[in-house]
Amino acid sequence: MALNVLIVDDSSVMRAMIKKTLRLSGLPVGEICEAENGVAALERLEERWLDLALVDINMPVMNGIDLIEEIRRRPAIADLVIMVVSTESSETRIESLRRMGVDFVHKPFTPEDIKRKIENLTGVCADAGQDNGPAVPDGGPDF
Amino acid sequence: MPDKTTVQLFRTAVLTFEELGFLLPSEEIDARQAAAALAAVVHLDFTGPFAGTLELRFYGDLLPELAANMLGEEEPPPFQEQLDALGEVTNVICGNLLPAIAGREQVFDLCEPRVAADGPPAGNQALGELQAEAAVGLAGGRAELSLYVRADAVV
Repeated sequence: MALNVLIVDDSSVMRAMIKKTLRLSGLPVGEICEAENGVAALERLEERWLDLALVDINMPVMNGIDLIEEIRRRPAIADLVIMVVSTESSETRIESLRRMGVDFVHKPFTPEDIKRKIENLTGVCADAGQDNGPAVPDGGPDF
Repeated sequence: MPDKTTVQLFRTAVLTFEELGFLLPSEEIDARQAAAALAAVVHLDFTGPFAGTLELRFYGDLLPELAANMLGEEEPPPFQEQLDALGEVTNVICGNLLPAIAGREQVFDLCEPRVAADGPPAGNQALGELQAEAAVGLAGGRAELSLYVRADAVV
C-alpha cells in the first residue's frame, strides 16, 4: 500500500526537504500534503484520509504539541501515526511526546533516519514497496 | 580561553552548516571571508528557563548555494526560499544549542525565525545581554552568531 503523508512545518524549505527525502526513500509514498501550522494541518486531516503525519514542534498559530493533543482528542483521527521532526533536544519534552504515542526524529536528520523510523512506525517497507503490516496498527504503535 | 557557551555555539553552528547545509565551515576567517558583504540577518526569539534571541548574520553570496544544497537541487530556489533556508538553519542551531547549554531536561520554546536581507529584521525590541559570540568561515563568506539573553524575560 502507498502511504499518504502530511508534512507539517512552518518552513517551506524544510517541507521540501522532507518531501524530497520521502520521494527518494524507496518507501511506497502516495499523496503528500503540506501544512504550515497546526490549524492548517487539522484542515488537511478533515479533507482526506492520511496515514502518517510528520510534525514540527515550533510553529506559529498552533504548535506541534497542541496539534498532536488535538489529533488524539478527535476520534476520527486519534490513531493517526505521527512522527515529530524537530530540533527539540529536551528529554522532558521528548518523553512527553512518546507518551502520546509519537516517535521522534531530530533535526538535522539524514534520509536514512526518516526512512528507518517510518518503516518501524508503519510496518511499511522501503524495498519493492512491500507491506509488512497495517499503516495504523491496532492500539497504536508499539515503541 | 572561550567559555563553554561560546564553544557550544561554535560547535553547534559548524555541525549545522555541515549536516544541513553541506558546507565546510572553518574556524579561521581569511581576508576574503572577512571582507564579504552582509547578505541577511536572522533573529530567533526563545523562551524557557531563560529567554532571549539568537542572531545570525550571514555574509557573502552563499545563500543560493546553501538553499540549493539543503533542497538537494542544482538550481537555487527563489530568493524568499533562500531566506527561509537561512531561517531554518538558525532554527536548528538554536534548538540544538539551548538544551546543550541549559541541560537536556530543560524545555525551550522557539519563535518563528525573522529573516531580513541586508540588515536586522524589523520589529525587534532590545536583544538583551550578549552571552556568547562565534564566527565560522564558509567558502567566500562567513556566518556570525550572537546569543542574547534578556534578564527581564526569565521564565
